[in-house]
Amino acid sequence: MNRKITNLLVITIILLGMGSQDTLAKDTFYYLGHGMIQVVDGSTDAIVADIPIDGWLRESDFSSDNKFLYVTAKRHLIHKVNLAENRVVKTIDVGDSQWERFIYGFDLAPDGKSAFVNLLSRTTRQGEVVVAAPRLAQIDLEDGHILRSIEVPWSSVSLVSVKNSSHIYVIGKDIVMVDVSDDEMKIIDRYSMFEKKWNILPLWDNTKENGGIFMVNYYTPELMGLISIDTNSGEITDTPLDGPPVFAYSVMRSVDKKKVYAVMDELTVIDLETRSYGPIIPVPGGTNYAINISSDGKKIYVAGGGSSTTVFDAASLKPIKVLKMKTDGMDFRRLTF
Amino acid sequence: MKKKRPIQALNAKARAIQSLLDGEGKTVAALQQGPPAMPVGCTTIFDTGWETNPRPTYPVGNCQSSAKDFHGCAGDCWWPAQVPDGLTNHQDFDKQCPNVARDWRVLKYD
Repeated sequence: MNRKITNLLVITIILLGMGSQDTLAKDTFYYLGHGMIQVVDGSTDAIVADIPIDGWLRESDFSSDNKFLYVTAKRHLIHKVNLAENRVVKTIDVGDSQWERFIYGFDLAPDGKSAFVNLLSRTTRQGEVVVAAPRLAQIDLEDGHILRSIEVPWSSVSLVSVKNSSHIYVIGKDIVMVDVSDDEMKIIDRYSMFEKKWNILPLWDNTKENGGIFMVNYYTPELMGLISIDTNSGEITDTPLDGPPVFAYSVMRSVDKKKVYAVMDELTVIDLETRSYGPIIPVPGGTNYAINISSDGKKIYVAGGGSSTTVFDAASLKPIKVLKMKTDGMDFRRLTF
Repeated sequence: MKKKRPIQALNAKARAIQSLLDGEGKTVAALQQGPPAMPVGCTTIFDTGWETNPRPTYPVGNCQSSAKDFHGCAGDCWWPAQVPDGLTNHQDFDKQCPNVARDWRVLKYD
């Protein structure tokens, strides 16, 4: 009898704990604009803070303790944003007196003190332009100096850290896998895309919000597909879709993992089980670059491109709110506490 | 008889350019020619891809409206002839015009 009561108490406590987690889950969204990040409260969908910042923004990554957001700007600056104070606390330039360097791909390293970047570099010598081959580099976030680097293929534009950042996948025409676990970085494998006529634009990275899955859409002359990278295992999955392709800049998986939402001029729902397209809903106001969802999966956010953020009800797919942002934007990231 | 050059290089820079021309090899190739290649220069990627595909039904063509794609095209220098080149000549173009639909009248660039 006592054992039964004890078990009942344990189950009750666990259920209460799960319920309180749901109640306490709070979403905050960060709209990456131009010269500004705007903070959106996920419970009210209201803009609650503006963070002035230098430049037009591109990549972003949250620190592992969720206290800081790192964003790249003008392809050569890295800003560190304190999310408790909503202000930029540090900015570094990856260039130096010898080379201008541009960032096409950014991922924080697990040590919290360095980051992996894909760098394109240029300089002039005797009046002539010199462009160096792109390099995957690990840089010190204190001053931007390069700790180590390795040459990677031209046209690489995005980085994905896998297996606790022991490997970096460099995404461009193909996916090049780099082992960074030893002192010397090594290219160990390549996942072919270009030879398969895939056309890919991997500029929006919601891996953190997407349950550790990096996901991007691709196009062939015949179809659209989804490529996903499980950042825990490193496994790459190709999901070709049936039917005429829709147009999408970015995609994101639903919380139940059964659907994928895609956005450009329309919000498109993709059924992962049947690999087919579902409803296609025009977005009020036109094109958007970025997509995100609330942590409970009940709301879908599309933003960027122009200066609006549209909130959709995920069940009815009806727009329930349009936020007018101060600037045009690039991305819309979510942090859940 | 040696053919005379129509233009003579007179200073060091001109002579440097002349020497480049003398030794110039193939510098331009069609993108479709093998091996698979993409242009290298202002931009690292140039997948005009789906943005330029006309559609049979609404919405037809590119981004709706084109202003919504202005900053995306400008910052990374996708279309440097049409919009400000954000990597070299107009790195701070966004300060003039952070919201294109609202601020386009004040945008100035060469």
